[in-house]
Amino acid sequence: MSPLNDDKDSITSSFYLTKQTSFRIAMKQRIGVYICHCGGNISDYVDVEQLSKLIANEDNVVISKDVMFACSDSTQKDMVQDINDQKLDAIVVASCTPKLHTHTFRNVAIRSGLNPYNYTQVNVREQCSWAHSDKPMDATIKAYGLIRAGINRVKYSEALENIEITAQKAVGVIGAGISGMRAAVDLARMGNHVYLIEKEANVGGRVAESGKLFMTGENGKDVIDRLYKRIKEIPEITVFTNANLDKVSGSIGDFTLEVSVKDEALKLNVGAVLVTTGFDFYQPKEGEYGYKLSDNVITLQQFNKLIETSNDKLVYNGNAIKSVAYIYCVGSRQSKGENKYCSRQCCSAAIHSSLNVHEKFSGVKAFHLYRDIRTYGKQELLYTESSRKGDIYIKYEEKEPPAVEVKNNKTVITVKDYLTYKKELSFDVDLVVLVTGMVPRSDSNDISSKLKIPTGSDRFFNEIHPKLKPVETVIKGVYIGGTCQGPKNITESVQSSLAAASKINTILRKGTLELEPIVARVNAETCLWCEKCAAVCEYDAIKPIESNGKMIAQVNTSTCVGCGICGPVCPSNSIEIVQFTDNEIESMIDGFMEKAEINTKQDSQENEISSGKQIKLNGFPKIWREIASALDDKTLTIPQLSEQLGVESNVLTWHLMTMNRYGVVEPAGLDEDEAYYMYKLKK
Amino acid sequence: MSHINPDFADDITKFGAKDFNLCFNCGNCTAVCSLSTNDATFPREMIRYSTLGLEDEIKSSLKPWLCYYCGECSSDCPRQANPGELMMSLRRWLTATYDWTGLSGLLYKHMSVYIGGMIALLAAVVGFIYYSGLSKEVVMHYGHLFEMFAIAGVFAVILLPNIIRMWYFTVIKPKVKAPIKVYFKALSELFVHMFTQKRFLGCEDTKENRTRWLLHFILVLSYLSLLFTTVFLDWFSTSSTFVIWLGYVESAAIFIITTVFMSMRVRKTDAMHKHSQPSDWFFVIWLFLMGITSFAVRLLIDLNLINTLFWVFTIHFTVLVQWALIIVPFGKWTHFLYRSFAMYFERIIGLNNQLKK
Repeated sequence: MSPLNDDKDSITSSFYLTKQTSFRIAMKQRIGVYICHCGGNISDYVDVEQLSKLIANEDNVVISKDVMFACSDSTQKDMVQDINDQKLDAIVVASCTPKLHTHTFRNVAIRSGLNPYNYTQVNVREQCSWAHSDKPMDATIKAYGLIRAGINRVKYSEALENIEITAQKAVGVIGAGISGMRAAVDLARMGNHVYLIEKEANVGGRVAESGKLFMTGENGKDVIDRLYKRIKEIPEITVFTNANLDKVSGSIGDFTLEVSVKDEALKLNVGAVLVTTGFDFYQPKEGEYGYKLSDNVITLQQFNKLIETSNDKLVYNGNAIKSVAYIYCVGSRQSKGENKYCSRQCCSAAIHSSLNVHEKFSGVKAFHLYRDIRTYGKQELLYTESSRKGDIYIKYEEKEPPAVEVKNNKTVITVKDYLTYKKELSFDVDLVVLVTGMVPRSDSNDISSKLKIPTGSDRFFNEIHPKLKPVETVIKGVYIGGTCQGPKNITESVQSSLAAASKINTILRKGTLELEPIVARVNAETCLWCEKCAAVCEYDAIKPIESNGKMIAQVNTSTCVGCGICGPVCPSNSIEIVQFTDNEIESMIDGFMEKAEINTKQDSQENEISSGKQIKLNGFPKIWREIASALDDKTLTIPQLSEQLGVESNVLTWHLMTMNRYGVVEPAGLDEDEAYYMYKLKK
Repeated sequence: MSHINPDFADDITKFGAKDFNLCFNCGNCTAVCSLSTNDATFPREMIRYSTLGLEDEIKSSLKPWLCYYCGECSSDCPRQANPGELMMSLRRWLTATYDWTGLSGLLYKHMSVYIGGMIALLAAVVGFIYYSGLSKEVVMHYGHLFEMFAIAGVFAVILLPNIIRMWYFTVIKPKVKAPIKVYFKALSELFVHMFTQKRFLGCEDTKENRTRWLLHFILVLSYLSLLFTTVFLDWFSTSSTFVIWLGYVESAAIFIITTVFMSMRVRKTDAMHKHSQPSDWFFVIWLFLMGITSFAVRLLIDLNLINTLFWVFTIHFTVLVQWALIIVPFGKWTHFLYRSFAMYFERIIGLNNQLKK
């Protein structure tokens, strides 16, 4: 145990912030506890009323209430009233998951003049009533433990202030493809200065290289030219081409990007970084579907160039092309290879190319050898149009891929068609087009190591959560957009980079930004700077600093995410996470493990059974009461009960077994035919 | 190993198929088809073969003949790929494939050839009647003789060789080595289907409403018996009251039922009648004309007006010649024959498989 626990009433923390400002933690003396019914979601299983009575007896608890809906306006008002009237110094709310209502009750605290961090949320819905609906008594005992843990924790809670940081209203956008360019325009329009940093000599990336685009029919080059013209008219955007990102330092609100443009070295001060570095096309290996072994095997990119440059007739290497086979999923969805993902846009791209061929040249037959056609959304129109034009679709499986061979100067394809009962088909074509997928850029490792963006198993940059935080990375202030994150088509790329732009704007707009203070904290007295914490920190948040004549660790509160990895490695126990201190965690364990004495609801007056006998099953599922009233004085088998109650026998079996365990019913031997067990109420 | 022929799609389109390339093989057609069996290949296998142009597979298959075109598959197809119409087109294509003369294909693909042939025969008949200088009785006698010889000739020269070719494509080439007794054992299947269209009763819509099947059944019986009545009982010259009345009933049944069928094709309410091809129209209109003109001719004979209104017989005779020389050997009439034989061959293959086990 920590020596801090010696004096229970008032302790002085021996921990200091590195700023050397010492402070006292007074154990909270007047705690309010609110246990929520959640309209029955909790109280149907957890005996909320009894718990609130029991909790009232806990040390330092001034108010203990059970409320129908803790999150309702009226209850919130009551809480504010209680805090002011009773001069509460901390509150505990036992209701649902903190994901849902942490901010609701923090705001309650703020409105009543209490520090929002002097509040603890206990989850008795997801963790008790929902998870243990089959065992109401156990759920109640567990809830009791969790609430007591919460009370113990809140006793140690500290009044904390959010960390405030000044933010540079400037953004570094890395990569001037369509995603980066489009995001730059919006970021500038929202009042930020934008540095658009491009490695190549020209802006535009992959889109500038592509021809006609679906659905507008515009040329990729034209789209980029138009966008670039717009960028040049915006003074807030500075474009660097032939530029290389050398080094990144600093943290959210204040990054320094060291960029070299030709021989010139620049230092750019930005508040946030948007990475839109894009993708590379998968390069087929030699011999993959005859690639490089036959002249007549090319990639979709080469084929698109061919369509664009050919005039009246589609001619390749001097031969007129009358039939084309497209082989899909080349370099994608490799269950045994390294690219396990689907590249999303290639099905549509290949079919679009095929339609472009039909439009420009007549009489070219197309064979599509696919695994699954994924032309989602409006791209479905492409598929329908191509089918209508007579393109032939042949489905192969990964384990039986098509074979491309050259026989008598003919390129022959043999494939087992899964749509034709795995019939082996063979046909010769003039040209084989490999529909290649997307892979991370060859230099993406360089970018990820400089910005410390983690990569996923697909080697693309990783967002925090694909749905909840789709453009944020674990590095605060660093955002990702477009195909550096994973395969996307142009629309999706631009959508994601614009999402990132608006996210960036929300943090930079005010000029200052607030971060939660739940970060690591160093005890300056005991720290000896052994570097162990800095070595394990994935966010580079710990640096040495001189203090009172010795080196100690200093936490950069704007980069620290409070992950806690530094705590266990410290040999002198000199670093801890705010709100997760040893005191708090240990006292929570003590609270949870304390012996719980819960009464079964013997004294309830409700649920009188017709016979006049009282069955006390309040708080248990309704079906228990029905079973009990059906049994009454009788002994019945499961099929008889099933017939009487109109409930499926397997459901009844399950409930009867539980009721048996809780001592509500007991078996009463076999029936006459010795086929079923009979049950009766336990007296 | 099968060879893909992407040009087949264009070819089959000329036989009336529409949009079948839109098929993405979901199998809804097979799911709704009440004639589909447990192997779940009917009818989608045929659609897939057509998309890929696997002509050999289609040529050796009897499946197109096993479909009665209730139209459920077409109305339930989520891609509007018209599987029912494709099966119909495959039947036309197979008719053309079985036909050794190659005329069937020409007539199906080019309406101009069809109309040209009809006009040529019209000219021949009219020319024969008015410039031969023969008396009306002699002309009617020749008409009767023509009927007999046309039936025998068409059967011997066109239909029989074509059925042998069908047998070769579907039984011999796929190496079904059935013993002779199997051929005899399966023979009942041929006649039952030829006269009753028993399998048609298995279709879902026929189960609910047997009217179409009943009309078709009466039409087939009336047509066959009218043929018998005119050719062997010599309806136009007989004095037997029973035969006269029999002929009236038969020919009336033909033109009444064909009128119903024609109105269905005009109204297009059900899937099967939505995509009528020229061959379908020629078949039903000429059958109607056959019924009504023979009825009219006998009526004029009974009213003693045939000599004054001899042009009615001219029309009847023209219709008869066109029917016997174009529609029966090369047109939709052959479906009646091929479908029955398809059931027969299917039964032979089935019995032979049982025997092997």
